[in-house]
Amino acid sequence: MTTPSIDLETLRHGARLAGFAWSDAELEEIRPQVEGALRLLEALEAVALGDAAEPTTLYRTL
Amino acid sequence: MADLFWSSMTELARLIATKAVSPVEVVRVHLDRIAALDAGLKAYITVCGDRALDGARAAEAALMAGTAAGPLHGVPYALKDLYDTAGIATTGGSRIFAQRVPVRDATVVRRLGEAGAILLGKLNMVEFAYGPEGLNIHYGHTRNPWDRAVHRMPGGSSSGSGAAVAAGLAPGALGSDTGGSIRIPASLCGITGLKPTYGRVSRSGVLPLAWSMDHVGPMTRSAADSALMLGAMAGYDPADPSTSVLPVPDYTAALTGDLKGLRIGLLRTFFLDGATPPVRAAVEAAATTLAGAGAVIDDVDLAGVMRHAAAASMPIVASEALAYHADLLRTRAADYDPEIARRLRVGAYVTGMHYVRAQQVRALVRDAVDGALARRDVLLAPSTPVVAPPIDVREVMLGDGASDVRSALIRFTRPFNLSGHPACSLPGGFTDGGLPVGLQIIGRPFDEATVLRVADGFQRLTDFHARRPVLG
Repeated sequence: MTTPSIDLETLRHGARLAGFAWSDAELEEIRPQVEGALRLLEALEAVALGDAAEPTTLYRTL
Repeated sequence: MADLFWSSMTELARLIATKAVSPVEVVRVHLDRIAALDAGLKAYITVCGDRALDGARAAEAALMAGTAAGPLHGVPYALKDLYDTAGIATTGGSRIFAQRVPVRDATVVRRLGEAGAILLGKLNMVEFAYGPEGLNIHYGHTRNPWDRAVHRMPGGSSSGSGAAVAAGLAPGALGSDTGGSIRIPASLCGITGLKPTYGRVSRSGVLPLAWSMDHVGPMTRSAADSALMLGAMAGYDPADPSTSVLPVPDYTAALTGDLKGLRIGLLRTFFLDGATPPVRAAVEAAATTLAGAGAVIDDVDLAGVMRHAAAASMPIVASEALAYHADLLRTRAADYDPEIARRLRVGAYVTGMHYVRAQQVRALVRDAVDGALARRDVLLAPSTPVVAPPIDVREVMLGDGASDVRSALIRFTRPFNLSGHPACSLPGGFTDGGLPVGLQIIGRPFDEATVLRVADGFQRLTDFHARRPVLG
């Protein structure tokens, strides 16, 4: 799997959508972590779930 | 009683109940040990010396009056500094909360107090519990007590809990575990740490990292002591709607020492195969020891689903952590450890779709572990693939390739935060260099009794949990 890259403008957009106004320097600092997260999100999207995979939020508390 | 600080909680409770030793002496011995060693270890953020001595004197008076409080009467313990304590600062390992003084105790703190336990102090941790290495730039990096020459990671995020218990600065402590934060420091520091089933122990009054993944539990020097603490903490709490109404069994009574006929699944693929050679050898030797006591061991292959655990965990933890920290990140960003701020900010790039998809994969992980346990009593695995790395190490070589150290440390523990199953780390051996190896036992939901029974049975057959680091 290749490492996804993300440019500064996209980082800025993502932060704004989430309600944050981070500086370009702060965004540059998180770029490696965001690229790592995108790699995991790609892997998540590749998991074969089938039709019956209902999401859980916690263990079946009794 | 020179070595009273190495006594177990079980033994201290017995000595105090029979008036062989005063709780005041027990507390004083531990406070003296903290004063002598903690400048080097940096296990504590706050030491509650006067308050602990007052509590010990009250416990002594109650004992003389025949009104002992409970099974932990007069026994000291310490708390990871994310449990609310009335009148005592609860920092979460952050300078942002340095002046945060709760007005009431967390539910489990209240319950331990009702059982008679005496709080020694609040323990160092990774800032806001977000990391497995056990480092903290605000309160100092806790030192792993097993190496005097090299500054090694204690493991985190419950770093102070691991180091304090291993070094005799507390006979037991509480940690919290979102991806392994009880079991990782237990593994690296050579102690016993239990992450109970999600819903077994109240999280009310405990600072969250990720609500749906957070678990709280004991960190002690033996499975018997974890059983003692868990029995005092567990049970339904109306203040935490995720807690179960299932009755709390007598965990201590479950420690029969009998392992005959227990069915134990050895998690070989992904787990054992991913461990470094000394860890793999120790876990295989542990399986042989358990088999020698009559347990029936077979191999379990969950690699197919476990490979998705990292991808499922990240969106959940990142989203929930950012939800808690969003306001603080807007107003106090400069006061975070820059590395912790970077980890938190990543959550902004996870969508709702990813969060839900991660919860779907989480269900697959849970069902796979349930399936493996349908025909077995417990599963066996390494707790961490490596022993304690030096604090400046960034990458380690595992059994199946190179990995950054953070990912490596949480690789074997994180799946059971996703699934919610109870899991315990205990000392399973030592390397030739004298560093502890963590053995992990995973059980069925709400069957902590069997997990502890196996851990205690193993500790009756071995002396790894009884070894002590050389300090001072």
